[in-house]
Amino acid sequence: MFKEKGPDVTFSQPVEEADGLKTQEMIINMGPQHPSTHGVLRVELTLDGEIVTRAVPHIGYLHRCFEKHCEAMNEYPKVIPYVDRMDYVAAMNNEHGFAIAMEQLMEIELNDRVEHIRVIMAELQRIASHLLAVGTFGLDIGAFTPFLYCFSEREKILDIFEKASGARLLYNYIWIGGLMNDVPDDFKTDVSSFVKTFRPKIKELNDLLSNNKIFLVRTANVGVLPEKVAINYGISGPSLRGSGVKWDLRRDDPYSIYDRFEFDVVVGKGEVGTLGDCWDRYIVRVREMEESLKIIEQALESMPDEGDVHESIPKKIRPPAGEIYSRTETPRGELGYYVISDKSTSPYRVKARAPSFVNLSVLPAISVGAMIADMVAIIGSIDIVLGEVDR
Amino acid sequence: MSENLEIPRANSIYKKSTEERKLSFLERIYLPEIFRGLWFTLKQMFQPKFTMQYPETRFDPPPIFRGRPVLVEDNGQERCVACGLCARACPPLAISMQASENSDDPKERYPTFFEINMLRCIYCGYCEEVCPEEAIVMSKDYDLVFSEREEAVYDKTKLLVRKEELKERLDYLREYKNRQFGSFWNFDEENNIHSVRNRDKRWETSLSLVEMIEQQRKEAK
Repeated sequence: MFKEKGPDVTFSQPVEEADGLKTQEMIINMGPQHPSTHGVLRVELTLDGEIVTRAVPHIGYLHRCFEKHCEAMNEYPKVIPYVDRMDYVAAMNNEHGFAIAMEQLMEIELNDRVEHIRVIMAELQRIASHLLAVGTFGLDIGAFTPFLYCFSEREKILDIFEKASGARLLYNYIWIGGLMNDVPDDFKTDVSSFVKTFRPKIKELNDLLSNNKIFLVRTANVGVLPEKVAINYGISGPSLRGSGVKWDLRRDDPYSIYDRFEFDVVVGKGEVGTLGDCWDRYIVRVREMEESLKIIEQALESMPDEGDVHESIPKKIRPPAGEIYSRTETPRGELGYYVISDKSTSPYRVKARAPSFVNLSVLPAISVGAMIADMVAIIGSIDIVLGEVDR
Repeated sequence: MSENLEIPRANSIYKKSTEERKLSFLERIYLPEIFRGLWFTLKQMFQPKFTMQYPETRFDPPPIFRGRPVLVEDNGQERCVACGLCARACPPLAISMQASENSDDPKERYPTFFEINMLRCIYCGYCEEVCPEEAIVMSKDYDLVFSEREEAVYDKTKLLVRKEELKERLDYLREYKNRQFGSFWNFDEENNIHSVRNRDKRWETSLSLVEMIEQQRKEAK
């Protein structure tokens, strides 16, 4: 039987204080219907007064058997709509990761236009996902206004996606070996006008939220994730970079055509408090949006006008027997796909290394000693999507 | 990187409380700062509106939008020849159908029943993608409401939509398919099934598919 680890699972004995009052640790459930757990996450908190002494996340409420489901599909392309539904606020990045894994397995070469469109889409999706993360993080803490502005900006990105793919959230756009269809003719102007209008909005967001004193008090020095702990737990993405580790797969293990673009890897510096606190993780996301804009601008410039997006799509997707592990950088961290092919048209096994799942595992380590109100900030700052945690 | 992020204004207050920035007189009397905050939101009132008064004004999706899948009704009957490709391509197994033959009908095959379980449908668009007849297309309907599970299983009476109402999507598909395949696969010559995609020009003459293909061959000769 699975034995739950952790200190002191049972109730502690009541302690008699000097003035005759008896105090006792209390167990309280945060979630699964809590608005600030970003989905159906249940955190079992053991509280000593208002101080959290133990936090155990309970997951699985959204489990949809993604990995088993992939095996049941009789064609590889059928996996892609389900890949969308893992991290549903960054569906493009998920598709991109799976498509890259399959292309490596089948040794498909893509033309430049497809690669450029994919990178632009992935970076736009990264901005959209970070906007949502930043906005809801503010909302959790009590800043309602920035949330609305973040959403209106995200809406513009979704409009671009809708024009290209026909869906607003779950696109099924990036296919194995190409794209579902070519981008519309005014795609370039749409994206460049978005980039132009979005830059000042980041400044606005910083004025509204990043340097807001209430926000600083709520996030600085809260939920400190030291560098070594982050590496030991296998954290990736902005949460890792917030702890000062310069690790970005786009730079360190370039996939697609990321090696052609110039961008900085943003890391937290502990500007307002300790290195690796909630504010650092937050600000990494905000600054990463600017880096994504840089990539988009460069990609728009070098995107070729000619090129068939269906050129490399195989008529029948039947990869050779073998296995592949391919990893990409999604807005939440390292998303890895491990695919085993037995030479049939359906995968023998698909394993997804979901960044949110791994990032959530650090929650018990960083929330001990925090106030109960800070739990909301900590959960918001590691930016989990429960669809991806449970899969 | 934004300039205002390099040196956060409240930088020092957390490290040592003694280093906390002294508030100026204007900041101390509090009201100017309040109005500065209000000014920001007031400005937004004159910006173009982003939201939509939903039930009164409805969102009109572009033709590329993938709404609920419908069957195209052409000349009073469905285009579907019940080949079963859509049911096979459907990832969540939402489509079920039963084929039957009718020798009187020029189309010869038709589905006796055709059902899409809208609770299962994930709007991926694969059914439309594989359909050789352009018989099932994604429409613009996006708000489906059911009060019972049985209601959610759409049968032919709910699925059939006249061709004229789907004109935008069909036109878009034609353009998109041409863009997709025209340049390098050239289906018209290679593939018999896809050649019937061009039959729309002559569909009004109520020729059967077989006749049309024969006619195409004659023309080719």
